[in-house]
Amino acid sequence: MSSITLSNLSKRFGAVDVIKGVDIAIEEGEFAVFVGPSGCGKSTLLRMIAGLEPISGGAFHLDGELMNDVSPDKRGIAMVFQSYALYPHMTVAENIGFSLDLKGIPKEEIRRRVGEVSEKLQLEAYLDRKPQALSGGQRQRVAIGRAIIKQPRVILFDEPLSNLDASLRVQMRAELQQLHRTTGATIVYVTHDQVEAMTLADRIVVLSGGQVMQADHPISLYKEPDNLFVGQFIGSPKMNAFPARVAAVENGAARIRTDDGWEVALGGFRSLNPGDRVSLGIRPEDLSLAGTGERADITVRAILSERLGMETYLSFETSGESAIARVAGDHRIDTGETVPLSINLDACHLFDTAGQAIRRGQI
Amino acid sequence: MAQVRETTTAAVTRYGLLLLISIYCIMPFLWLLVAALDPNAGLFLKIPDSVSFNSFFRVFFEEDGMLWLTNSLIVCGGATVLVLVLAGFGGYALSRTRAWWKRPFLYGIILIRVIPPTALIVPLYKIMLTCNQAIAGVVRPIAGPEYYRQVMRIFGFIDGYFGLILLLATMQLPLALWIMKTFFDTVSREYEEAAIMDGATFNQRLRRVLVPLAMPGLAAAGLFAFIAAWGDFLFPLTFISSPELRMLPIGIYSAFLRANQIDYGLLAAIAVIYTAPAIIAFALARRFLVQTFGGGLKG
Repeated sequence: MSSITLSNLSKRFGAVDVIKGVDIAIEEGEFAVFVGPSGCGKSTLLRMIAGLEPISGGAFHLDGELMNDVSPDKRGIAMVFQSYALYPHMTVAENIGFSLDLKGIPKEEIRRRVGEVSEKLQLEAYLDRKPQALSGGQRQRVAIGRAIIKQPRVILFDEPLSNLDASLRVQMRAELQQLHRTTGATIVYVTHDQVEAMTLADRIVVLSGGQVMQADHPISLYKEPDNLFVGQFIGSPKMNAFPARVAAVENGAARIRTDDGWEVALGGFRSLNPGDRVSLGIRPEDLSLAGTGERADITVRAILSERLGMETYLSFETSGESAIARVAGDHRIDTGETVPLSINLDACHLFDTAGQAIRRGQI
Repeated sequence: MAQVRETTTAAVTRYGLLLLISIYCIMPFLWLLVAALDPNAGLFLKIPDSVSFNSFFRVFFEEDGMLWLTNSLIVCGGATVLVLVLAGFGGYALSRTRAWWKRPFLYGIILIRVIPPTALIVPLYKIMLTCNQAIAGVVRPIAGPEYYRQVMRIFGFIDGYFGLILLLATMQLPLALWIMKTFFDTVSREYEEAAIMDGATFNQRLRRVLVPLAMPGLAAAGLFAFIAAWGDFLFPLTFISSPELRMLPIGIYSAFLRANQIDYGLLAAIAVIYTAPAIIAFALARRFLVQTFGGGLKG
């Protein structure tokens, strides 16, 4: 149960900078998720915390203690690997108790502690089995057992749910949440799946190109992305971005005209000047079908409609870019049909040409 | 596919043919076994009038059978152990390294296997002779004249265990390295990293994780090395001259070359003794060969 502080942490492989000065603070007992596209450096960052990759620059403190050059087994950190990496020639009990056995702890004591852990993870019935004879879910529990028996200060997870089938993934996700609740351990979890990140995390750290794009609570991240990258990475289907420019600023409301020619008026943006180029970010769920008699903000031509029952994903094209609206499922919309959409103006985002969010000023 | 009903003729032909081939293959082994147990064994396979182990007793008590067997076991066992150690570490290193010379090296060593050993015998002899003189220069002052021969019989490069072990191991090492390299390619690195996280030292990682995981590969590499070394005739013939160091294949050969007449019973008995360790080696290795480690990894 410990806090992690990464300050200006960097990693170079030869001439390649993989991690470029990362600052992250993870509080005690927090479930932190590193998320980002593949190659963003999230796994490398995790391995640096574990001690499996040397740190090139910056500092990693665990409970205020500098960990840069401490060997992996002395850090008090346990790791669950992507493949689980259960020792296939050992039984479940031997797998879980291996770290204690290496420390030379008496057999009786090991048996007792393996018993405790296996009871917590409902593995008592499988202690004499080899990993080969276990189901996917049981294997993950053994991998977790191997981690928690060390009573680690931090548990690291490296994409533990990848390559699992969908139903097992949902089940495992629930088990991980329960593990976090019951142990109260500080957890750092790496995934490329933003749904996993949203459902599990207390704090999401979005990484791209070896840099932190934003670190915050999932809902804040979703509601107030710092930049277009985070806006588009979190949320599915991803946020639509329309290239636009500021047409006019009147009474604290900015009229934004997209390159396609339609306009929205957004209140609260005071710092904008007419003529500024911006990206207008609208989440698919903030586009809805305009009812009869209601004024449509835009009218689009559906190029694809995916009916999911409860809702329909409506793809359309504006200025060459495809965009998606997530509309109620009770309307039948055919491909090629012209559809009036209304926009939830309060939920629109603006980003400058560098992709940084332009916040609404306080009124 | 529709079931085709087999005609009797077709079945008879097929099984008859299979039987014929089987008999052809099994005949030499059958002859060996029968002749070894037949006190009046001849060139032709016949059902013996009586069964006797006399030929085996003669191999061990009249001939130097025990000595030949021991020598063969020392040399081939030594070579196999050497191959396993070198191929174990080397195969691991070759599997994990990303060095530019990895591929050229792997193809280079295979060349050693491709060249017929007979073609190398003269240069090899020259090299071994030079090494032998070098080691003799060290041994002579240390051991003194009275023990010089005994020490050289162990450490000599020519007419010594050490040289022959080194030579046989060198011939078998390329294949073993390939087997182990390919095998370690399939052993996930995450096992080792998991062991590091569990606090295992290098020694513990090796002994408790890597070697158990590598057992199937080591068994295959060791079996091939042992059987190839065991069956080798040219090197023992060329590099061993003392009767005290004579090995089994040379024993058979010398018994065969003996003047007057050929003692088929004795020859067969030596051959059976010669065959047995290879079969035992296979039986021992088989358990590990079929052992497959699944389930440690996901998916």
